[in-house]
Amino acid sequence: MRQALVEARGLMKTYKRKDGTEVYAVQGIDLDIYKGEVFSFLGPNGAGKTTTISMISGLLAPTKGEATIGGFSITRQPMEAKKLLGVVPQEIALYPTLSARQNLDFFGRMYGLGGKELAMAVDEVLEFTDLKDRAKDRVDTFSGGMKRRVNIGVGLLHKPQLVYMDEPTVGVDPQSRRRILDTVIRLREERKMTVLYTTHLMEEAQELSNRVGIIDQGRIIALGTVGELVQKVGEEDRLIFDVGEQHIDNAVLERFKQVAGVTRATYQSYNLKPAAGAEDSAEIIVEKRSTGTMQIVRSGQVTDGEITVYAKRGRKALPELLRIADELGVSILSVEVREPDLEAVFLHLTGRALRE
Amino acid sequence: MRKILSITFNDMILYFRDPGAVIGTFLIPVVFAVVLGFAFSGNNGPTQVRIDVIDNDNTALSQLFLTNLRQANTALVLCPADNSEDDFCRLGDDPALTEERSLGRLSNNDTLALLVIPAGFEASVEANQPVSVTYRSNENAAAPTFILQAVQAVVQRMGGALVASNVATNTVAEALPFDDDAARDAFRQQAYDEAAQLWAENPFSVSYVAAAGAPQASNSQGGFGQSVPGMASMFVTFTVLISAINLIRERKNWTLQRLTTMPVSRAQILAGKILMYFLLGMIQFIAMFGFGLLVTTILSNFSENVTPLYLGQDALGLLLIMASLTLCMTALGFLMGTLIRTEMQGAALLNLLGLSLAPLGGAWWPLDIVPEFMRVVGHISPIAWAMDGFRKLLFEQGTLVSVLPEVGIMLAMAAVFFVFAITRFKIE
Ligand SMILES: Nc1ncnc2c1ncn2[C@@H]1O[C@H](COP(=O)(O)OP(=O)(O)OP(=O)(O)O)[C@@H](O)[C@H]1O
Ligand SMILES: [Mg+2]
Repeated sequence: MRQALVEARGLMKTYKRKDGTEVYAVQGIDLDIYKGEVFSFLGPNGAGKTTTISMISGLLAPTKGEATIGGFSITRQPMEAKKLLGVVPQEIALYPTLSARQNLDFFGRMYGLGGKELAMAVDEVLEFTDLKDRAKDRVDTFSGGMKRRVNIGVGLLHKPQLVYMDEPTVGVDPQSRRRILDTVIRLREERKMTVLYTTHLMEEAQELSNRVGIIDQGRIIALGTVGELVQKVGEEDRLIFDVGEQHIDNAVLERFKQVAGVTRATYQSYNLKPAAGAEDSAEIIVEKRSTGTMQIVRSGQVTDGEITVYAKRGRKALPELLRIADELGVSILSVEVREPDLEAVFLHLTGRALRE
Repeated sequence: MRKILSITFNDMILYFRDPGAVIGTFLIPVVFAVVLGFAFSGNNGPTQVRIDVIDNDNTALSQLFLTNLRQANTALVLCPADNSEDDFCRLGDDPALTEERSLGRLSNNDTLALLVIPAGFEASVEANQPVSVTYRSNENAAAPTFILQAVQAVVQRMGGALVASNVATNTVAEALPFDDDAARDAFRQQAYDEAAQLWAENPFSVSYVAAAGAPQASNSQGGFGQSVPGMASMFVTFTVLISAINLIRERKNWTLQRLTTMPVSRAQILAGKILMYFLLGMIQFIAMFGFGLLVTTILSNFSENVTPLYLGQDALGLLLIMASLTLCMTALGFLMGTLIRTEMQGAALLNLLGLSLAPLGGAWWPLDIVPEFMRVVGHISPIAWAMDGFRKLLFEQGTLVSVLPEVGIMLAMAAVFFVFAITRFKIE
């Protein structure tokens, strides 16, 4: 029997614009977060992740609806509810002129710790976040990644049952990101904590979560384990062929569709625009919309085309597809095989990519 | 409560983390106070003290007595005789004093003492009969001792001179009868003058001037007694109004939002911050008065014109005024914090409020020198009430009880500001 630690019902938040019209930041969220799981909110910028977290942490009063933590209403029994909870805000919520230790010390007291217990908790967090040797330095002398770690550490001081982490990897280098993700896994595995994690990166949600809620425009549009969600888009792999500037006609796509296992084949071409200010340079860096990868193209080369093939067991179909391309004189610059993922789910549900 | 104190302590550390904080909080205000103190030195404006005089004798001798009293201490304003045009005596339209009315004025703290010269004063003195002048002081205002000392000294001096002249007159009369009464009076007058002269030069009377007039006799009390409380009030106002900007900064830092996700109530957060600014203001106030005393004490060793700042006789009253003003301004600061959105707005409003409330309230110059109208308008500034209170203590020998009205008004203002601030206080 799974026990819900957080229960939210009909949470809604609206803001009034200057002209009097209402903006829906969150428009009705029902949610159960079970004890011991990592639950992720996955959604693009402005989806309402922070607003939802703020409402279930007592920072924002919901316009409608309510939430409980461990059975305590966050609006009517805030003290009891908040004791169970550690929050890691999206912003670095620290006193920049204080040292890491001073920050931890102060916030520890706010969680009701004191004396030996506090000193031990602070030491433990410094150890856990690997900041022992910088404990005495002012936070404003820290790197972005180190600040993030202190920011996380504060939320763990009182060993809460439940931790909210709001996009804790924003703006950090890959190494620090890895560290933070490992921290989340350790919290679940070693400390049996329940974690609510928000991100707009599907890789993170996919790696960390027991369950994922995909959130868009203030609503949860899909909820379940990664496996369950991916099933929604079927079990097809996507094969993405980069064909550069070549023109691809329908005949090629028709031939592709006849290969065993292939269900669909589409061709898209993009006009690549150089980044503002880089128009005159010999080489320009552009981002491919479909894969989100960065590419260097020669100046003047302004179109880029891709054939996307949907196929069951795509890797098996690959040699045959390449042979056909060769036969038709289409040169393939690169191939990428994508197994079904949350990105595809989001695309499937909204028709938009997660990262714009 | 522990959480409240932790917030207070943490904010205090944050405040003094800024390297400029110590300079801005202590050094600059002291420099201002010292410079202004010298600028106002020699100004005896605020050093005057009202005493009621009822002269039932109204003879040459009683007048002489009062003249001597005026000379003994120039700080004394004898009401109604010496009332100023702007009614320093606070007599209103009716200048006549009865004993009953004066007793009422005494208990209202309108005057600090009452002197009644009995009818037949001159006659009794001339007949060598014992006569007594009645002196009453305000019990509440804890008997301004220098007034009594002045009176006693004059009585003693005049009494001594009168005895001498009487004795002289009688002695002369026996040896060499006068032609007529006029000649006899002329001689008596001459003998009195000479005797009075002798008494005036007598070392005893010199020591009386020093003892009775100590705070008032010095030029520097007029200056520093104005500039130290004035500058302290102004800079404390600035310091605690900064709390408004600090609220904005903490919101921007997200630390305020983080606090609300912790098991701390909004009331606790607010209380911790209010306590911090209250304590900070008090520390600054006390430090300013301490430095004022220190600087004047040091300077008094080098210059005759400077005496150590006289802080009155009631330290508790002093603290009470400081506390009321600080609380009032802290409340105003928090109210301000709920009205502004950005640090820039905060800085603008801070300057506007600080730079208007201070001069309006008499922090830059004493309100005695501004027109009546401005004096009334100035009392919308809490600083005006604080300055009134300080003046009672530093110049008029007032006590805690005598400053209660000012304290009450400042606390009432604080209450109003707090009610508005708390109803408007939001964190997100
Ligand atoms: N104070 C506010 N006033 C008006 N609109 C707001 C306010 N706060 C948030 N919103 C709006 O609510 C929506 C949801 O914002 P929210 O911060 O919850 O998004 P998010 O999912 O956390 O995005 P991100 O990934 O960028 O952090 C946005 O459209 C935002 O513009
Ligand atoms: Mg957010």
